[in-house]
Amino acid sequence: MILSIENLNAYYGQAHVLKDVSINVNEGEVVVMLGPNGHGKSTLLKSLCGMVDSKHGKILYKDQDIIKCSSEKIVNMGITYIAENRELFPYMSVMENLKLGAYSKNARKHEKKNLEKVFSLFPRLAERTKQYASTMSGGEAKMLAIARGLMSNADFLAIDEPALGLQPNLRLEVAKIIKEINKQGKTILVVEQNIPQITDLADKLYVLEEGHITFEGSKDDALSHDNLKEIFLGM
Amino acid sequence: MNAKSMATILAVTYGFIGILPLFLGGSSIMMRILTMILIWSVVASCWDLIMGYAGIFSFGQVAFYVIGAYSSAILSVSLNVPPIIAIFMAGGITAIIGVIIGLPCLKLAGPYIALVTFAFQLALEPFLKGPMGKAIGSGGSRGIISVPPINLFGMSLSSSELIPFFYFTLVLTLICSAVIVLILKSHWGTAFLALKDSEDFAASLGVSAFKYKLLVFGITSFITGLFGALYVHYVGILSTRMLSMEVFTVLLIMIVVGGIGQYPGVVLGAVFTVTVNELLRPMGIYRLLIMGGLVVVVVLLLPDGVTGLIKKFTDYRQAKKESRVSIEKHESSV
Amino acid sequence: MFIEIIEIIISGLLNGSVYALMAIGLALVYGVTKAFNFAYGSFYTMGGYFAWILLVSLGVKGGYYVVFLTAIPFLFVVGYFLEKILISPLRKRDDWQMKAMMLTLGLSLFLDIGYIAAFGPNLKSLPDIVEGTLALGPFVFMKQDIVIFILSITGLLCFAWLLNNTRVGMAVQAVAQNPVGAQIVGIPKERVFAATFAISTILVGVGGILLSQKNFVNPQASTGIMIKAWVITAFGGMGSIKGSLYAALIIGMLEAFVGYYLGMIHIEIAVLTLLLITLAFRPQGLMGRE
Repeated sequence: MILSIENLNAYYGQAHVLKDVSINVNEGEVVVMLGPNGHGKSTLLKSLCGMVDSKHGKILYKDQDIIKCSSEKIVNMGITYIAENRELFPYMSVMENLKLGAYSKNARKHEKKNLEKVFSLFPRLAERTKQYASTMSGGEAKMLAIARGLMSNADFLAIDEPALGLQPNLRLEVAKIIKEINKQGKTILVVEQNIPQITDLADKLYVLEEGHITFEGSKDDALSHDNLKEIFLGM
Repeated sequence: MNAKSMATILAVTYGFIGILPLFLGGSSIMMRILTMILIWSVVASCWDLIMGYAGIFSFGQVAFYVIGAYSSAILSVSLNVPPIIAIFMAGGITAIIGVIIGLPCLKLAGPYIALVTFAFQLALEPFLKGPMGKAIGSGGSRGIISVPPINLFGMSLSSSELIPFFYFTLVLTLICSAVIVLILKSHWGTAFLALKDSEDFAASLGVSAFKYKLLVFGITSFITGLFGALYVHYVGILSTRMLSMEVFTVLLIMIVVGGIGQYPGVVLGAVFTVTVNELLRPMGIYRLLIMGGLVVVVVLLLPDGVTGLIKKFTDYRQAKKESRVSIEKHESSV
Repeated sequence: MFIEIIEIIISGLLNGSVYALMAIGLALVYGVTKAFNFAYGSFYTMGGYFAWILLVSLGVKGGYYVVFLTAIPFLFVVGYFLEKILISPLRKRDDWQMKAMMLTLGLSLFLDIGYIAAFGPNLKSLPDIVEGTLALGPFVFMKQDIVIFILSITGLLCFAWLLNNTRVGMAVQAVAQNPVGAQIVGIPKERVFAATFAISTILVGVGGILLSQKNFVNPQASTGIMIKAWVITAFGGMGSIKGSLYAALIIGMLEAFVGYYLGMIHIEIAVLTLLLITLAFRPQGLMGRE
């Protein structure tokens, strides 16, 4: 098991967002976390990546409890967060964004190799290394955000709603890329509302509602589950 | 805090200050301190209203105070306007200047407002000392030396008549405090709270940030100018020394100690600061050193001032009480 | 007449170059940390006193070489811990910007009065970096001015190079453009905040050393310097380094012309008027974004 979260509680100001959340992710898996908007999915990923201050519980990554670690330390340990709203550096070029993606010590050594990998995965980015991030379209920016995440040389990617707001053909492309990244050996935890192209990739599914994990199981389990069936078929 | 408890705290504080002259009336030093507490508490309250509630980072409060003082002094010295009328005209002049400064300023982002208003204060000194200031009767770097005292119903409220002047100031203080409470508890106060939470949200409710901010800027400028004028007729002399960083910092400590946006905490802050400032006077230059250090320490350790501390304490007691009640309930149910 | 104007322009350039050095530090801090440092001017004076202690009080050998070599690490440490100890704890609060302004205002009074308490209210004079004059055709320059100009420009170039060509410089820019993004890629945000404070303290402190040997070390100079640096940054566009550069030159020129033709007393009013007019038409300043 590469990641095991036990009884994680997280708070956002006064609000108790995550309530005793426990999940497990095995090495090489794609785990998809579903759930309605505003029920704590993003907070879960952010807590994992050291971006939420008030939290308690256990987050074991490669058998080490990282709940108290700073975000820079977590990035260096090989977990990277890919934000739903991309969080790029708007007045920097594609190349500069990618190079900053390799800021952590662990990533620096592999910068060249990862840059080649990223460009073969996203040929369109290779064509426009000099373009400013702020001038890119939504889809391109999303690709750049994923590419920047890959530059960190992470083993574990925490991806926040990668397909949100994209056209169906772009969703398919994102799903393909996630599949490809997974094939290259990365473990992936992806949060989604209910995008079939992404859900299809899942080795395991979780549902997070009102801060609680309400379902855990395979795709088939989910389909045989009445409430969930509704969610999936209702899409 | 609701209007009732605000009014209660104000009534108790000012009531207590108000009866002190009965015991301390013989000491001119004590009377001066009490009068200065009243004046500064109102000026600091206005600043709290602007900064803590309306969310305007204005650093021009001392400048408005000085403008009020100079306006009234010039009106009564050069134009022979009776001081009792001059102080209100001075308030009006300050309000007009406040609105003129506010018009370009209030559309700017927070830090820019701080900068422009602070720069305004710094530019005021060379203006008053320079040829332009002299032309309107500022007296240049010498200042204005013989400002006449206020004359009320044939009684001269000069610095030799400390007790009548004190009570006159107290009456104005109470009126202005009532105005401040009314603003805070009116439709405007609610609008400010909405604005503080989210300017976009407030705009969607039809609250025009700019209009309210400008209005409040005008009203507080009026009150500040009025009290600046009151002060100058009390002490009788005036120079640009009033614009020093020292005055600014002392005013700053009042709201830092009282708690920003915690009215009427700032009134307690004024009582504390004026008293400490007087107590430290024999220490010479170290007084200012301590005052500067005090700002740093209080902001770091008591970010909501004494009001925050009191709140924490009452919350704690409340929580303790509740837990005790629940334990008792639990035990009785067992 | 013509020679007069050239002389005014040169003195404007001279002022402008040092102003640029100081204003850029402030633009950097605001751009990166969004903190308003009202104690900025007090570090200008600190630079002056530092040089005075070394050169006059202790009489160390080696002159200004030693001063710069020791002042830079000293100012770095001061700025770094200023942020770590005083500003960083405030950052958890919603209204931290206002709190930071108040705290730094208090700090500035504390330091300025501290200088007077420690060294007395009198101005201190520093030895000139170089003495003598240089004649170029009809123009006569103080060698001192030339050195100040060259050092300021060198400082600016070094700064620009560091910002655009080093990993730390890129990290600083990243935090300025998107603090969340910076956190995502693993940039230690808190350390970058402290480092920018440190760098800006160096810039203004070195400016203080350069100008104090011309204008004396004055414990009361801080407010004027702080406000000048602020006005330049606001005029140029808060947080825009390029904007500050142009603004510093424009304000340097304006001061030289107003000072010459209308008298020194009008400088502050003229500068404020220029700022107000600019902000009325461009609230974000000359080159500010948004």
